[in-house]
Amino acid sequence: MTPNRVLLIGVSNPLGAEVARRLAPLVPSLFGCDKADPVSALEGMDFVHADTRLSVIGKLVRQLHIDTVVHMAVMVDSPGEERSIHETDVIGTMNVLVGCTAPSSPVRRLVVKSSQAVYGAGPHDPSFFAEDMTNVDKPASGITRDLLEMEQLVSEFALRNERCGVSLLRLGFRVSEDTSLGRYLALPIVPTFAGYDPRLQLLHEDDAAEVIVRATVGEHTGIFNVAGSGVVLLSQAIAIMGGRPAPILPPYGRWFARLGLKVAGWVDMPAHLADVLAYGSVMDCSRVEADFGWKPAHSSRQTMDALAHGRLAEVIEAPSPPQEYELQVYLQQRRRRGRLLN
Amino acid sequence: MIAEETRVERRRNSKKAEIVAPRQGLRLPKPIRRLQRQAPLFALQAVGELSSRLRQLTGREVIDLNRIMEVVQFIYQQRELARRGSDYAVDDFGFDPEWTESFLTVFKALYRDYWRVETTGVEHVPATGRALLVANHAGVLPWDGTMIKTSVFSEHAHPRHVRALVASQFMGMPVMSWFLRRTGQAVGHPDDTRRLLERDELVLVFPEGTRGTGKSFKDRYRLRRFGRGGFVATAIRAQAPIIPVSVVGSEEIYPMVGDLRPVARLFGLPYFPVTPFWPWLGPLGMIPLPSKWRIQFHPPVEVAHLPVSAAEDQHLVMALADDVRDIIQEGIYANLKLRRGVFL
Repeated sequence: MTPNRVLLIGVSNPLGAEVARRLAPLVPSLFGCDKADPVSALEGMDFVHADTRLSVIGKLVRQLHIDTVVHMAVMVDSPGEERSIHETDVIGTMNVLVGCTAPSSPVRRLVVKSSQAVYGAGPHDPSFFAEDMTNVDKPASGITRDLLEMEQLVSEFALRNERCGVSLLRLGFRVSEDTSLGRYLALPIVPTFAGYDPRLQLLHEDDAAEVIVRATVGEHTGIFNVAGSGVVLLSQAIAIMGGRPAPILPPYGRWFARLGLKVAGWVDMPAHLADVLAYGSVMDCSRVEADFGWKPAHSSRQTMDALAHGRLAEVIEAPSPPQEYELQVYLQQRRRRGRLLN
Repeated sequence: MIAEETRVERRRNSKKAEIVAPRQGLRLPKPIRRLQRQAPLFALQAVGELSSRLRQLTGREVIDLNRIMEVVQFIYQQRELARRGSDYAVDDFGFDPEWTESFLTVFKALYRDYWRVETTGVEHVPATGRALLVANHAGVLPWDGTMIKTSVFSEHAHPRHVRALVASQFMGMPVMSWFLRRTGQAVGHPDDTRRLLERDELVLVFPEGTRGTGKSFKDRYRLRRFGRGGFVATAIRAQAPIIPVSVVGSEEIYPMVGDLRPVARLFGLPYFPVTPFWPWLGPLGMIPLPSKWRIQFHPPVEVAHLPVSAAEDQHLVMALADDVRDIIQEGIYANLKLRRGVFL
């Protein structure tokens, strides 16, 4: 089944905007919704203000005769407190699923964005996480628990609605300028946990958008790990970014270390990231390669190089307001200008 | 007539010339810089001269030039490694072969001069392809794993890296975690074993785990229980031959007379050893004793004729695990007899 009328939930972040830009020429009608204003207007997409925390998605789906829903309004790391993450991820997803669930629902395809953070990170974990290894023997907390709960809801939905193909994408950690990991690595002096040099696996923004598009137009059902091939050590990543590692955080009592960093105003490190920065987290992405016949174009190392390169590139101010620009370029400039004004 | 260029002009006009910014800071005069550059060479010449003089005087080798060259090589290797910055690749497990090989010099010195390891049967280790090495585990710290790795790398006709599986407690410890990963170790998890074997690596497992390293001195050379035979099931699934390895000498490096359980629990360790020297002498107590070691690689136990479904047959798996255990235990007794004394 080729998607006909596609609803993108959560298009107001850069990833959502990029997915919309790539999907627009592929599908006849495209709708987007988010609670915030879109970062840019896109011609071929109608934008609706809708908050997933309220049960408006069902109304939208029925009235627009949506057959494919792409749910990207899943927060993984945000400066907000954990309560709002829980509201968005669990309650928001529940509302989306309820909206797709009605007996005469036209929805035939659902794509949900999840994250590598769902695996957590610990010393007892195997070196690679496969899709069926969520939280083998450790208690989940914070964002990991929220994501697990969300995935549970999605898999229950998939069991109950056999007519609807569900694909759940566990995207690897991304290091653009608006993720905590990206901001952390871009620090001039990077506080690290003394005596640890974990392996990191990263996903390039382009590949993240590409895999969501491919999952939307494809027929692949199930859970898929998506991340760049290979690993990059934390010390390597810091050196690539031109920073200097400072192994000053104590190896035990990570909670205190995080609090100290936050109080000092150095960096706000979410709990799941603190574990990853001590023990590392690497996924086995062979399933997505076998099923999609596609693999991310950027390896973890290339993702890191691209981030460092983008940071070193000169900021060129456009002489006239950009109108004919590619969306991605436009977004980048907006972001850069915003930073300059700050 | 074309005017002859002077040497300086030719160099300046050369296409290879590149613009180099002058270095900041004080620059030493040229003769001193030349001396600095050649100092290591002069030093080596002097040592060589001294060694031949001493040989003439005393009639025997006082300074071994090979050892000196190894030290020099080690220092240069470390400098080269420091120069590569972030420009190196590790495999998916975090293994950095170049870095590991630079450390082998140190381990080879321990192997040859400190523990005087005698290795037999290293030809049973295949030159290519997968294999599962199974060894007895002893000594408080996993020096036996290091020595098995060193013996395969330095004594085998085709030097290979052995990837040992480590108890997950060590992977959570501060410095240990990155050192072990960087030198090619993986977590002792069936999934990791399978992945390594599928990549045609040599995998070393200690089925006794921390029960072996944490046993007290009076139980030395008595093998503990071999887990639940998980290593056999993994070998059958991966169709990898099992090579039993007996290590003698590792028991005496830290004679463990006691175990402080509460302290161990406090730090999340499997045991907290008490030896005649640790913790009384502080860091000095961590120096292993110079016992005499012997390592024997036994002929492989083939599992290729078994179907993959045999891995589910618990009876067969346990029987094979017991066979492997008996081979290792007999190898230990045989090698103990061959050893003249603990420190000889």
